[in-house]
Amino acid sequence: MTPPLPEAGPETTIGVIAAIAAFLTISILLGFFMRKKAKSFEEWLVGRRDIGPLVTGFALVASYLSGWAIFGNAGLGYAYGWSGSWLIGTTCVAGTALCLVIGYRMRKYVALGVRTVPEMLKVRFESRMVQALAGLAMIILLIVYSVGQYKAMATVWTITTNTPFFGSLLATAILVLVYLIVGGYTGTQWVSCFQGILLTIVGWTLGITALIWAGGPTKIAEAIGMQTFTFHGGEQTSFFLSDYTLPVQSLQDRFAGVDYFGVVAAMFMFLFMATGFPHNIARFLGTRKITKREYWVMLLILIVGGLTPLWIGVVGFAARTVWGDVLMATNPPIYGDSAAVYASMSAGGIPLASLFAASVFAASVATIAGMVMIMATNITRDLIHNAYPKTSPKKLLWLTKLMLIPFIAIPLWWTFTSPPPILSEFMAGSAVAQAGIFFFVVGISMYWKRATKWGAITTIIYGLILTLLNPNAYGKLVGLYHWGYWALLLMFGSALTYFLVSLVTKPLPEEKLKKLFPKRKS
Amino acid sequence: MTLRNVKETGMSKIHCLLAIMILCIILVPVTAYLIGGWYAYWGHVLLAIIFAVLAVFIKTQYYWEED
Repeated sequence: MTPPLPEAGPETTIGVIAAIAAFLTISILLGFFMRKKAKSFEEWLVGRRDIGPLVTGFALVASYLSGWAIFGNAGLGYAYGWSGSWLIGTTCVAGTALCLVIGYRMRKYVALGVRTVPEMLKVRFESRMVQALAGLAMIILLIVYSVGQYKAMATVWTITTNTPFFGSLLATAILVLVYLIVGGYTGTQWVSCFQGILLTIVGWTLGITALIWAGGPTKIAEAIGMQTFTFHGGEQTSFFLSDYTLPVQSLQDRFAGVDYFGVVAAMFMFLFMATGFPHNIARFLGTRKITKREYWVMLLILIVGGLTPLWIGVVGFAARTVWGDVLMATNPPIYGDSAAVYASMSAGGIPLASLFAASVFAASVATIAGMVMIMATNITRDLIHNAYPKTSPKKLLWLTKLMLIPFIAIPLWWTFTSPPPILSEFMAGSAVAQAGIFFFVVGISMYWKRATKWGAITTIIYGLILTLLNPNAYGKLVGLYHWGYWALLLMFGSALTYFLVSLVTKPLPEEKLKKLFPKRKS
Repeated sequence: MTLRNVKETGMSKIHCLLAIMILCIILVPVTAYLIGGWYAYWGHVLLAIIFAVLAVFIKTQYYWEED
């Protein structure tokens, strides 16, 4: 007999609110302490290029682990069994290592006055158009990414406080606003480092606890092997969850694990996306000069932190073992995404459920706040100031503050009107586009002298057009029904566009490139 | 050994390491298909870690850059 789902009592609610309040307080104190030490706002944002490997490493972990990794992966494991592991990101450590290898050169651009990724592109290509286009692409893709974060936090709030889902969405938006008002938005390296450590500890603890709670690895593997796939809403199928692919025809437009084309696409997505996420690679802007030994320390941190998403996937497997497919028909529109919250309450009681809620808060609300700030500055710094350089800093600041409202409201409205059933597969759409566009335009351009502004411009435009042609958007109108084909077309089409157009157009003169490309030493 | 020989030996080592990295990626779906279950799940992590270590090794050993 399936055990009943846990219900949140007043103690759970108090524990969750206390844990979130404690997290918020520590983040604010850290933010204010570091602000005192910094001489200017810009210095506060990226530091004085004095951030060491430990802080940079954990900050990178924090920016990489959004609501998808710390929360959504349990939904994937729960709903899809082993085939969900492709979007859980079992190979994500490879991608974060590439980001470590490639991203360090961002430091070079700080000395040239760069503070954001689009600004870095302006300097690299001496083109305001590239800066503006990159800013625009970031806005579009980050809005989609924010929708998933809203669902993550609203789900935790719904289950642990017994608030209706749509009320929880509003509560999430209010928390984002509070976070922004009190200054947590800046996501200084120190605050991000604290978040990274918290997410890693809680993710590992919850994963190991859930593994034991469900009866151990053998029992989980047996239970998953015997169960079949159930659609959200409760419609059952005869497809077993025992394999690493789940050949359900109607899932092909959104699920990577449907066949090996989707699998390959998901693997490349994870390989490219850590570097392609602009908010990720920007972590290197404040880093000091790192020794070879410290480079290895950073890799160790990325490996330990990079295993967190896998542990959250384990939580989903454990929940499936204990409750079967019950959650696929429970709590619409949350469904299987509630697996981690229920498992944290059952396996770890109030302390672990509260800590997990604080972690999801850290991952999702801080990510939304960070993205809202990035989008607002994309408008003011990369578009308005770019077009009208004489606009006063005071006006720009006010405009930035004003732009926070629509960028909080747009993804909120989206989640309110059509919340994604499995948030990680929804967010994968945005991740593919960020990976396909920015891995090449930002990452490769720092190493390939032959890259040109036209290569970058056409790649961004191509990537954005393909983003619109996602099978769940307008792709079916042009015959794109398969998520894997679409993702491969976006990423490798972007690569082809970038290299071909760059090769047939004129790069910057050698003397200008000299300052951007250091001589290597063995 | 001449400077040219040293460079060529270095390049062949890098190519060898890159080949192992590519193999790590290819083996991911292969292990999922042939082995499956927990062994594939954690095996993927192991392959990704080998890939990561080699990537950082190549960077620190052959492509290290100073300010």
